[in-house]
Amino acid sequence: MKQFVNIVADPIYSFPITCVLYYYMLKYYKFFGSKKFAWTVTLIAIPVFLIMMADPNFYLIITWPDNIPITILIVAVSFFTWYSIHKAAINDTRQEEGEVPVEATPENREKVWCWPNLVYTEMFAIIAGTVFLIVWAIVFKAPLEEPANPTWAPNPAKAPWYFLGLQEMLVYFDPWMAGVVLPGVIVVGLIAIPYIDTNPKGNGYFCFNDRKFAISSFLFGWLVLWLYLIIVGTFLRGPNWTFYGPFEYWDFHKVVAEYNVNLSEFLWIKFLGTAMPSNILVREALGIVLSLGYMFGLPPLLAKTSFFKELISKIGMIRYYITIVLFLLMFSLPIKMVLRWAFSLKYIVALPEWELNL
Amino acid sequence: MSKKGIADYVRETQVWKSIFRHGPPNNARNRAAVVAGNVFLHLHPIKLKKSGVQLGYTWCMGGLSFFVFLALTVTGVLLMFYYRPTAEYAFNDIIALREHVPLGIMREIHRWGAHLMVITVWLHMFRVFMTGSYKPPREFNWGVGVILLVLTLLLSFTGYLLPWDQLAIWAIAVGSNMAKATPFLGHGGPGAALAQIGDFVMVSDKNDVRFQLLAGRFVGEPALLRFYILHCVFIPLVVGVLIAIHFWRVRKDGGISAPL
Amino acid sequence: MSEVRKHLNRREFFSALTVGWAAFAAASAGLLSLAFRFSYPNVNFEPEMDFVAGLPEDYEEGVDERWKNGFGVWMVKQEGKLVAFSNICTHLGCIPNWQPTDLKFKCPCHGSGFYMNGINFEGPAPRPLERYKISLNTEGKIVVDKTKVYRYEKGQWDHPDSFLEV
Repeated sequence: MKQFVNIVADPIYSFPITCVLYYYMLKYYKFFGSKKFAWTVTLIAIPVFLIMMADPNFYLIITWPDNIPITILIVAVSFFTWYSIHKAAINDTRQEEGEVPVEATPENREKVWCWPNLVYTEMFAIIAGTVFLIVWAIVFKAPLEEPANPTWAPNPAKAPWYFLGLQEMLVYFDPWMAGVVLPGVIVVGLIAIPYIDTNPKGNGYFCFNDRKFAISSFLFGWLVLWLYLIIVGTFLRGPNWTFYGPFEYWDFHKVVAEYNVNLSEFLWIKFLGTAMPSNILVREALGIVLSLGYMFGLPPLLAKTSFFKELISKIGMIRYYITIVLFLLMFSLPIKMVLRWAFSLKYIVALPEWELNL
Repeated sequence: MSKKGIADYVRETQVWKSIFRHGPPNNARNRAAVVAGNVFLHLHPIKLKKSGVQLGYTWCMGGLSFFVFLALTVTGVLLMFYYRPTAEYAFNDIIALREHVPLGIMREIHRWGAHLMVITVWLHMFRVFMTGSYKPPREFNWGVGVILLVLTLLLSFTGYLLPWDQLAIWAIAVGSNMAKATPFLGHGGPGAALAQIGDFVMVSDKNDVRFQLLAGRFVGEPALLRFYILHCVFIPLVVGVLIAIHFWRVRKDGGISAPL
Repeated sequence: MSEVRKHLNRREFFSALTVGWAAFAAASAGLLSLAFRFSYPNVNFEPEMDFVAGLPEDYEEGVDERWKNGFGVWMVKQEGKLVAFSNICTHLGCIPNWQPTDLKFKCPCHGSGFYMNGINFEGPAPRPLERYKISLNTEGKIVVDKTKVYRYEKGQWDHPDSFLEV
């Protein structure tokens, strides 16, 4: 059983599984958002977690001090994801029956005094937050390792946990993409959301039906691409950034045969059977054409499909192009992951001479 | 006019009346006066929509983020009394904060608080997205919030270096080396190889963005000082200003979102 | 006063305003660039960039780690050549470990691997390790100069300063 989990946790399997689970979560969101589902999952999860904690390797990685926030995060995000879907399901059912969302009922539109309603809530939140922090601080010591030594890197060397999603991206992308361009795109894309999402519905209440496209794409980025990668980077990456299952001992000598090949090597050596051309632009021509086609050729082509035609009629050309470029950049990560697993593809464009690898 | 309690006596003194200019907040007039007249409470509107005070709607994550930010400011100032940002002392001062100080959990509160703030800010953003609260008229405030999210991560990241242990410098080494790869601005990024005239390299490891961040070619003492200043002064100031804008705009954009 | 105002017609007023704004923008830009330049010190006190690394006879075939901690350099003697490799991973600047059993340099951060000759073969590292300039001084001792870097993918490893015939 543990062996099986160890194997399935490998991103090659767990990433598609996560995507499929995500799809079904949204497809049957009313079932997912039911209280029955929540109780069942909680009742199953607690004993499973306790059994897992009995495993020494799993215990070690869970109780490592800087990993505790991630456990808290997983619990909190699971709960709040369920909770928001739960509220969305209630509101959707109400709207299907011709009623207004809960937030729009007259008794909730009523105005209340700030004192005591809000002030007391805040006071309670402050006290709860203080107690929570102090208990956490007493129970768990903050980590402190040996003094800094610039000549010897610990193995594995990990970034702070909230950046581990980015560090995990570094397995598939060069630093200039994973560390600079994609984070920049995330920030710009987040700021752009209110300007490209012109759907007037779903403002100020939980819902899913009214804004399916917006919610499912945001949740995909947030749950599958961001949090899933953080969990992989934290719990499943051991020495040498090699994959280790949750119950696997971190053996420093675990050998992983990994020989990744650039697209240009596929083309010239394996497919055409010739030597690599000396002109670097000719050498990488296929990759460059593919990348440019992906970024600049696909948007006009996709604009012809019926789905996006409808979108364009709603939001206009400029918003469409911004949206589609953001989406293509977001999906470049899963595409690159799949290419790496399926074909051991290293770079689509490999120009180390210019530090330009894609 | 039956027997006066001691509380009533205190309430009638000149000292009490000089501080609280209104009676106890148990009627409409005084409830308005307490919120409008108090510099801290007047961030709030006097009356607000019911959904805006329901935990089921707001999750209180924005409020908790602000609370944790304040808690971090207080504990951070306390830590500064004992901490010296030099390669020689930093690590020992961190140990001293645990061993030589009564109630040696101040650093723990600060560190776990930093993690907690990242979590609450993420969840706050999650809630705001799920309720569609970024939609007009709140587009701009969502943008301010995204910048605050980035600054939260930067605050935590700059603080990560300060203990000056192995965990710290290697996390920062990995992180700051990404700056090296910035297109055109980092010496290891695309474009830098093109910015070269003969033997003269325009973007080198001595003048790129990573050098500016670290004040050197690698994570050393100047980087420690620079991160210390960024962590304790520069970023908190920017965050403080943006929080003010954020709160102001919540009010000006119509309070906590509700169905139109 | 009114006479003065008479001479300042609308066009002149706006041109004065333009000059004013331009001056303000220039002053702000100047101050900002001063602040920017301030963040780049003229002097820094980082370790020496070159060092004397003993005699060529001191090195045996294979990887020598004696200068790794002090100067961040591996001396590798192989096929009659002695080269000085930078111990900085070309991916994100972590420090790989020499694994004598597997005959490879393995980076702990993201798993990049390099052969003993510095060529990258696994993990995300985009290019081989960098060589430093290596030469002999007048006393016949090896001098490694870290200010000069030779990179394989640029075809610089044929440069006579990038290795030492031994």
